[in-house]
Amino acid sequence: MRRHCWWLGLVVCGVAHAADPVHEVAADPPNDLAVTVYRSPYRSAGSLELDDLEGFALIRETRVIRIPAGETRVRFEGVADGIEPVSAIVSGLPGGLIERNRDAALLSPETLIAATAGKAVTLVRSNRRTGKAERVSGTITASNDGVVFHTADGFEALQCSGFPEDVEFTSTAGLAAAPTLSILVRTAAPLTQEVTLSYLARGFDWAADYSATLSPDGKTLDLGAWVTLGNSNGIGFPSAHTQVVAGKLNRETDEVDPIDLGGPVIARCWPQGKTSDVAILQIARDASERRSAALAAPMALAAKSAGALEEIMVTGSRIQQEQLGDLKLYRVPERTTVASRQSKQVRLLDRQAIPVRILYTAFVSPEETEGQSQIAKVLLRTRNVKESHLGLPLPSGRLSLFEHHGEDSLLVNEAPVRDTAVNEEVEIDAGTSNDVHVVTVAEETNIDEGTAKTISLVPGISLRNVAETGTGRTEISNARSAPIEFELRMRLPDGVRVIRADHRVGTKNGQPIFRLTVPANGTLTVRYQLASFKTELVRP
Amino acid sequence: MRTRVIVMASALLGTVPVAASAADRAVSVTIYNNDLALIQDKRDLQVQGGRQRVEFQDVSARIRPETVSLAASDLSIVEQNFDFDLLTPGKLMEKAVGQEITLVRVNPLNGVETREQAQVLATNGGVVLKIGDHIEVLRDDGLPVRVIFAKVPDNLRAHPTLSVTVNSTRAGTRTATLSYLTPGLGWKADYVALYDEKESKIDVQGWITLTNSTGTTYDNAQTLLVAGAPNQVEGGNQYPQQQFYRPQPRNNLQQAGTESGTRERLGDYYLYPLAERTTIANQQTKQVSFLDVRGVPAEHGYEYRNRWLGTQEKPASARTTYSFSTGSKAGLGDQLPAGILRFYMKDQRGDPQFIGESRIDHTPMGSRLSLDTGDAFDVKVKPTVLKRTRLSTFDWQSDMSYELTNALPRPVVVKLLQDGLIADSRILKESLKSTRRSADVAEWSVTVPANGSTTVTATFETRF
Repeated sequence: MRRHCWWLGLVVCGVAHAADPVHEVAADPPNDLAVTVYRSPYRSAGSLELDDLEGFALIRETRVIRIPAGETRVRFEGVADGIEPVSAIVSGLPGGLIERNRDAALLSPETLIAATAGKAVTLVRSNRRTGKAERVSGTITASNDGVVFHTADGFEALQCSGFPEDVEFTSTAGLAAAPTLSILVRTAAPLTQEVTLSYLARGFDWAADYSATLSPDGKTLDLGAWVTLGNSNGIGFPSAHTQVVAGKLNRETDEVDPIDLGGPVIARCWPQGKTSDVAILQIARDASERRSAALAAPMALAAKSAGALEEIMVTGSRIQQEQLGDLKLYRVPERTTVASRQSKQVRLLDRQAIPVRILYTAFVSPEETEGQSQIAKVLLRTRNVKESHLGLPLPSGRLSLFEHHGEDSLLVNEAPVRDTAVNEEVEIDAGTSNDVHVVTVAEETNIDEGTAKTISLVPGISLRNVAETGTGRTEISNARSAPIEFELRMRLPDGVRVIRADHRVGTKNGQPIFRLTVPANGTLTVRYQLASFKTELVRP
Repeated sequence: MRTRVIVMASALLGTVPVAASAADRAVSVTIYNNDLALIQDKRDLQVQGGRQRVEFQDVSARIRPETVSLAASDLSIVEQNFDFDLLTPGKLMEKAVGQEITLVRVNPLNGVETREQAQVLATNGGVVLKIGDHIEVLRDDGLPVRVIFAKVPDNLRAHPTLSVTVNSTRAGTRTATLSYLTPGLGWKADYVALYDEKESKIDVQGWITLTNSTGTTYDNAQTLLVAGAPNQVEGGNQYPQQQFYRPQPRNNLQQAGTESGTRERLGDYYLYPLAERTTIANQQTKQVSFLDVRGVPAEHGYEYRNRWLGTQEKPASARTTYSFSTGSKAGLGDQLPAGILRFYMKDQRGDPQFIGESRIDHTPMGSRLSLDTGDAFDVKVKPTVLKRTRLSTFDWQSDMSYELTNALPRPVVVKLLQDGLIADSRILKESLKSTRRSADVAEWSVTVPANGSTTVTATFETRF
């Protein structure tokens, strides 16, 4: 039963609606939870920022509902704040689901007073000196930018008189305290049923963090990795089956309407300037600024107020991998708690003595260079196969490379790792070496006039095709006390070829490559001849 | 919609306004795809003869007032206004300038209440009052003073209010229909597709998702959803949009359907009426089921599209695709309104896990859809430009190779596309027969063995 009473110059009392036959029931809290965390598709390989987790998770909750016969609204309270309501699935219902809803408004002083507008409330006005409270019944007339209420005396504004004034409500007007999803169901008989609610929620992410230690002889590598998963939601998931999914999947969902976390009631009044001061205006302005800040970023505000963000949990259990369509699913074998505003680490892998080759490499553009020196890049190369003590999918993430220095191991470089399937080549970026410099010099260019062909385009302008050859050299110097393997790679423009060289030339990715060994404390020079077929405009 | 209707006689007539009965209400809401809804509110309206004002509170706060129409017999509209002047304490005081208010003071020592009348002189910065024969600033002494207003001015509203001045040729009750267009109500479809890898089948559930940001709740409304976006003429200034080249997005619709189905239509739009009346609360996301099909054959495939002269230093993942029919035979058997299809697949424990999503446009029945859900971890392609040779001034020969690798324990078929073959480009030589999807695109259907690789080579002759 609902009654509308309102005022507009005179009292008009509303017509009673027909009795509402819908029962209201809250589902039991979840008795089983599963959380599958997906990596943000667009995040680079850096660390997770708990304040800004762009990934998401699939949450699955098993709950018991007890519903009477007829139409019932079942509320699932305490879902993640970042819920994408359109993704919710309720399964296990024996039919009769009419609709499902998510209300964005949560119970707060602001929403409560807005929901109570037009309804009867009790106003409590107390005398500061005597402590005597006066209770008056009235209605809230409007709550736009300040509250106007009506009593038998007339219209007044809330908290403008200087008396302590308060509103007492009789109900919470159906507003939920925590983010809530509800379904409307119809059954012929009362029912107790276990149902599964699953939904996608924002505010999760995970990262793979590899750490690799190179052996003192530089021939093998020990590789370990952690999965770090973060939950920035205000809701925790105790004792949950926890999975993470590796791979990049499509996301199309637009912005999710943030849940309105509500705000205080701002009792804004008429101008209250006095002859003696101006400070009160400032207070009012501060209050309004606070309010607009709260409206602009309710989620951010919640994040800040939650405090203690950087708690990191490390568990000892090792993760298990399985195939999920074209993605990789990693399962934490034991139930674990994905707490609110927490990041948690689980061991992903530990592999010892992976054989690696240390390679130095540089890209040169022999046609464009004028003899500048560049430093070589260092790569560790291996293959993701069982024989190399690997042979497992490596999800994308960040790798920190360490080298032994006496007793310690020190950080050498950090590099991104891409999603690497089994049997793929693995190249670990180990930074650059100042000991290995590369200088490329273009020595000479010749045009063979005998091959020149001229095509007249318009009178006075013609196109001339000529064969051009050039010679050049690249010097690689090695200041290390051991010989190094070096891959010299060329970037040649369209139609330019290496026709002769004093070292064996191969092809990689369609471009020339020289696989060389540079002697210890020595220099190696590669000479080559390039040929091309050029077209130029000629104006005689 | 809790539209409260109050009929007020015009002040000139000096008669008392009366409330219309809301017992026989029928609100119907028709929602289009492009943030537009038509609200029709049918009710009994009790009016007097002559000129008077009818007020509709709690219409959508985002109403397009120029689209309002009020239809009732023996009633003609004189003018209509949409009042946004909301009732706030500040406005209440401002409108009281020149008028009498009541002040209630309480003696802080003995609690004795005294009342006096005051006239509001100004509200600029502070409230200046005339009490008896002296002028005072409200609460200048800091002591509590209650201010009581006898009434709220007519033009201050607790809610945005539509007021219509009508001229009635007779008094009495009649049925009136108020209709208007408003943005803020929208709908789209959301689909849940569970793919069964062993059976190569999908189960698809379709949900209609309604959203309401109009600031108003529509109670017990008959709801009709229109799969279509009527053209809306925009107000304001229009600037020509700059056109930049963008690569063609992947086309989800492989073949447009030609089946008609049994859905209701409005012109060329499909209609999705909700079976029951429903309450669309403000700020609510509401979902109602409209499709539940099980065991539709679906095909899991891979696709990689290489741009012209694309070389990858490291192998790049192929796209995972799922294709199925929306036809009545071996298909979903329905028109699909535009929305997002979310794919799930069961993990080894049997729990469904999310594996990606894809957006679809309005899709006629009988279409073939091929939706991509993301990158395949284990199926990769490494395209390489092996050699570029200048054949003559305007002719180039390009030797390409595509190495396809598969780390899955089963063979896969990858649809390999090479685009950019414009003008009279020709394939001189290829290791596998291609089909020319269009002048622009060559397509190879490449089988890659389990845990193996396949290399496709092709030589193109082009003008660039």
